[in-house]
Amino acid sequence: MDELQRTRSEMHRELNRPGERPAASIGLTRRTFLHRSLLAGAAGAATYGWFPLINTLDVAHAQQTFSFAWVSDTHLYPKTVNTRFVDKAVRAFKEVQAMSPAADFMIFGGDLAQLGDPVELDLGNDILKEVKIRKVFIPGEHDWYLDMGKKWEALFGKSPWSFDHKGIRFIGLDTVSRGPDYWTAKKMTPKQRMGHMSALDGSVAGAWAGVGQDQLKWLDQNLASWKKDAPVIVFSHNPLYEYYPPWNFWVRDWREVHEILKPFGNVTNVHGHTHQVLYNEIGKMRSIGMLATSWPWPYAPEGVPVLTRPMVRVDPGDHFDGVGWGRLTAGAKVENEYMMWRKDVFAEAAHDSGTGDNGNQVLRPRIADNEWPFYGAYK
Amino acid sequence: MRTGYARVALGGTLALLMVAGIGGGAALAHKEKHTADQLKAFEDVFMEQVKLGDALFHGDEAAEKQMGTQLSKTGMACAMCHPFASDTHPHEFPKFQEQMNKFATLRDMINWCIEKPNEGVALGTDTDAMKALEAYITWSNKGSKLDAGRH
Repeated sequence: MDELQRTRSEMHRELNRPGERPAASIGLTRRTFLHRSLLAGAAGAATYGWFPLINTLDVAHAQQTFSFAWVSDTHLYPKTVNTRFVDKAVRAFKEVQAMSPAADFMIFGGDLAQLGDPVELDLGNDILKEVKIRKVFIPGEHDWYLDMGKKWEALFGKSPWSFDHKGIRFIGLDTVSRGPDYWTAKKMTPKQRMGHMSALDGSVAGAWAGVGQDQLKWLDQNLASWKKDAPVIVFSHNPLYEYYPPWNFWVRDWREVHEILKPFGNVTNVHGHTHQVLYNEIGKMRSIGMLATSWPWPYAPEGVPVLTRPMVRVDPGDHFDGVGWGRLTAGAKVENEYMMWRKDVFAEAAHDSGTGDNGNQVLRPRIADNEWPFYGAYK
Repeated sequence: MRTGYARVALGGTLALLMVAGIGGGAALAHKEKHTADQLKAFEDVFMEQVKLGDALFHGDEAAEKQMGTQLSKTGMACAMCHPFASDTHPHEFPKFQEQMNKFATLRDMINWCIEKPNEGVALGTDTDAMKALEAYITWSNKGSKLDAGRH
């Protein structure tokens, strides 16, 4: 048995310890790795000794191998403000359209616009015409809180939705529209409401990310007749677990989501919002965080899943660095490939990592945006 | 709405210090033991600058107008790459900074971000706006362990 086989054997034993594990249908390719600390039983993501490749998992539920693409978090401004985000979105859409073999569909995972401006959403709708294959959409908070989703839904339809494709149930959730009302009592204008929502580290909009009781009920009913061992892929803008609530890197009702998904042995959540490489497993659900085309967020000061192999620290002077889109292949296994526009995706050492270089950093939440009416409105 | 806010707060604080009897000689300090009111006044001065810096850091229009700055021409604000002022690493400066290929201060780095990613207008390194940004960044990172020179 060679070293790679021993490694995989060891990993297999760890992944199949007593208790429930996710169905082994996600292949982890170049771009999605498990962390050695899983094997070592170490807490935290500070250990740097990476496994090369985990792709031997082999549950064959899907009927045929096929590809699909994820693009999200384009955060378009009007072209009069800047064109850099437009350029990157166009590049992603062109690359999706050029996939060979062609993707069966593209999911747009939310935050098409930066400030929900109709000009931004129309611009996005226009450049999305680069993509001729089937497109499906879920909203992000930046698309929603100027007019509470009116323009978004007129252009891209309502969520949630589901469809079955080649043996997989695909579900699109809306995790953004059910935020608490932080604007009425303060008599905010729509622009002020959007301004607070658009600040990731703002404290005014609160725990806005959630699935909501009505959508939870819909999800439960939608899956009622689905075979428990058949694959389910759930798209959401926010991660369906608790990573870092102050930046809404979660949905507040993630435990209820997991209660509904618990009977299913082969669930994958693909999400946006975090703008970074992420991988996690909660119960029997795997979760993959996707890149933005706009800019990368730093890893949160705490809560980075131990299973995540951090992305490399990128060059802030190159706005094409650290961003991109995702190419996923479903078949005997589901693989995700981060299409990041740089040579190296993952850190090899702490000093090149987006998390490992922050050992001495201690942060506190911001203060000024709660001092209404002095602060808070973005441009 | 915010015009003159920081100036008013600073004026009020100075008046308080005068009442406390230590403001008459500008060069004098620590001649008397500090009172709780004095300590509060000192903190108020600092926190006003933190709040102003927070607003500038988050692209607040009113704060930019008040300070006469243009920190970005792209719509990007500092906080869009640095929520909670993360990854600003004030506890590591001064240090060699790769982007500038020089031994740099935090203020140098702030100006690099303004000019390069944000395509804005660099601040004078000793201006009130720069000091406010520095106040916010250091306050946000309060508790970080000094790690001078780390890249």
